[in-house]
Amino acid sequence: MSIQIVMDRSGDTRHEFDAADSRAVRVAEERFHELTGKGFRAVALGKDGGPGELLEKFDPNVEQTLFIPQLQGG
Amino acid sequence: MDGVAEILRALFRRALREHGRDASVLTDLIVLRAGSRFGPRLGAQFSNGYRAWAALTPSDLQAYCERHSAWDMESLRRVLLREAQQIYARMLEAHVAEITFREHWAQVAGRMQRGRDEPPPSRLDRFARLIGFGRRSLFDDDGKAAKRGARLLEENLTPAQRQQYAKYRYFDVTGGKTGKCYRIHHGSSMNIDQLDKNGKRVCGWCFFPRGGLVAGDVMLAQKFALELFESEALQVANRLYRY
Repeated sequence: MSIQIVMDRSGDTRHEFDAADSRAVRVAEERFHELTGKGFRAVALGKDGGPGELLEKFDPNVEQTLFIPQLQGG
Repeated sequence: MDGVAEILRALFRRALREHGRDASVLTDLIVLRAGSRFGPRLGAQFSNGYRAWAALTPSDLQAYCERHSAWDMESLRRVLLREAQQIYARMLEAHVAEITFREHWAQVAGRMQRGRDEPPPSRLDRFARLIGFGRRSLFDDDGKAAKRGARLLEENLTPAQRQQYAKYRYFDVTGGKTGKCYRIHHGSSMNIDQLDKNGKRVCGWCFFPRGGLVAGDVMLAQKFALELFESEALQVANRLYRY
């Protein structure tokens, strides 16, 4: 199972999907485009807290994708 | 910066620090006129009877009265109380989340300490703990968001960062583009220091994700931003030369 983790006010919201299920993959891809379109950055989480990888395109084979809201200066 | 609002925040910080999780409701604000020995003073009254006082400078008070067109004590008290209750509500929410977060990390530190003496828990034990089997669930009381944020952060720190954070409430991150060292302190804003090669603070940076996220999420977003898109993060950030 793959998982998309979206940071939000509740801490995070998790969406699991089966990479072998084309319909679930389509929904996950739509979510990816919707969130990145809103300014979220998608990060493929690395192992053991490593830096991971910034995702420019949707990849259904990434196990865990974290969506970080747009940054602002404080 | 609004001087009166800063005084209110200082009063509330003191009250929240003294009362921990049992912080009570703000019931009233008291403005005392200048007397023979003291200048004007502002007091906050809480439902448990606790009162905290701070001095007001005449210029701050004058500026506040002008800004709110409050020229008698009653209207001044009314305006102040309304603003104070908004500030206090925000601080109280952050305070409870902070306590929840600290408690979580105290547990993490305790687990790490015990882990040195005990064999590692089995996979089943770890899963049982996660879902709350046989013990209190991580998500079954107040501060759910803070706990989820704490868990997400914990899962995505390196072992060294996790240990550093549990011990010192900060962790170090290497900038993905420049290789510079940043120290992310526990917090949601103004919590990043850039360090030189001797570990001395060069400056501070302030940036965070939009959306009013809990501290755990904010710190994790800051970590990934510095590791993966450092230049963009620093472009939106404010640079702080002193606190």
